Amino acid sequence: MITPQADLGIFAISVAAGLIGALAGVGGGILVIPALTILFGVDIHLAIGASIVSVIATSSGAAAAYVRDRMTDMRVGMFLELATTTGAVCGALLASVVAPALLYVLLGLVLLGSAGMHVSRMGEETPPTDPPSELALRLRLTSSYPDRKLGREVPYSARRIPLGFALMWGAGMVSGLLGIGSGVLKVLAMDGAMRLPMKVSSATSNFMIGVTAAASAGIYLGRGDVDPQVAAPVALGVLAGALVGARLLHHISNRTVRLVFLPVLVVVGLETIARGLGFGI
Amino acid sequence: MTPEKFRAMVSTVLIVGVAISAALIGVGFVGALAVGWHGSLVGGAASSGATTDFSNLPGRLATLEPAAISQLGLATLLATPVARVAASVAGFALERDRLYATITLAVLLILLTSIFVLR
Repeated sequence: MITPQADLGIFAISVAAGLIGALAGVGGGILVIPALTILFGVDIHLAIGASIVSVIATSSGAAAAYVRDRMTDMRVGMFLELATTTGAVCGALLASVVAPALLYVLLGLVLLGSAGMHVSRMGEETPPTDPPSELALRLRLTSSYPDRKLGREVPYSARRIPLGFALMWGAGMVSGLLGIGSGVLKVLAMDGAMRLPMKVSSATSNFMIGVTAAASAGIYLGRGDVDPQVAAPVALGVLAGALVGARLLHHISNRTVRLVFLPVLVVVGLETIARGLGFGI
Repeated sequence: MTPEKFRAMVSTVLIVGVAISAALIGVGFVGALAVGWHGSLVGGAASSGATTDFSNLPGRLATLEPAAISQLGLATLLATPVARVAASVAGFALERDRLYATITLAVLLILLTSIFVLR
């Protein structure tokens, strides 16, 4: 049984998770799961169920503002959701035949490796503006977003689209298999591979993670992993945090968003490796 | 449909989904502080069973059980991204963007398949 004091603690941590998640383009499960299991002794299955709820709450709460304010690129989002949803279905089908331990460790190492790449781009405010490729024009993956911090419209076009699509397929597969890290991988694919501006990558990842999570939400509901005693304070806290975060994004630079994303990337990498080595967080 | 209207529509779907679910989850949560998760806000008998069971929601909603009200809110929240994809299919179709209407419809079908078939 969860006491009202614990409810308050869960709510407070969820506000932080929603805030960081909205800025970094991730679901906030990285904060919510260990907080619930370690600090409040919640069963790991209920914690994962609550984290699915937190991903959808972050995504829907933040994306409502990002879509309206033209921070989310809906075409990039829908095009890549084709990759993540098919990847997620393949992952779910493979879940019974693949040993997850090794996968967790591999994914963790990939994430830590990409942290190095991310650091090398740390000072970059907007990506280089080369003329758009033939494929980007045909798929209409060129656009611009209003940057209130820079005070101007920033044009961009998606690069290396096949690589981005393949990485997104992998991201979907990983989240179908392991149920972790899908937002982080999405931001890395859009920012790192497709060279979209960091804020657009984060806002578009936010838009997409809800759909990826919804694909498996039915499974968690049916299994009895979604308990309102845990998930209700998480959902309310995350929604509040995400609404604040979505307002904040306009007032900070792409560099600051990168700075918020870096520790998230490292923590998810370490958490993923810890899970692979059998630590239940 | 202009791109601005399209964005406004998708944004509205998300806001409405979030608002309805937050209200239901909130009412259930506050109600639970008052009468307990398994109590009844209309003075009925306390229910039994797990708060993780979503199968008998209508009956438990009839007695305004806090757990059931929050569960309905959580289910609404989990359905919001699906509603958003469905609205996007309509939006791209009204924008006469055949390519993206098709892509989005495919995403919706995969999503519904994974929710209702793979479980």
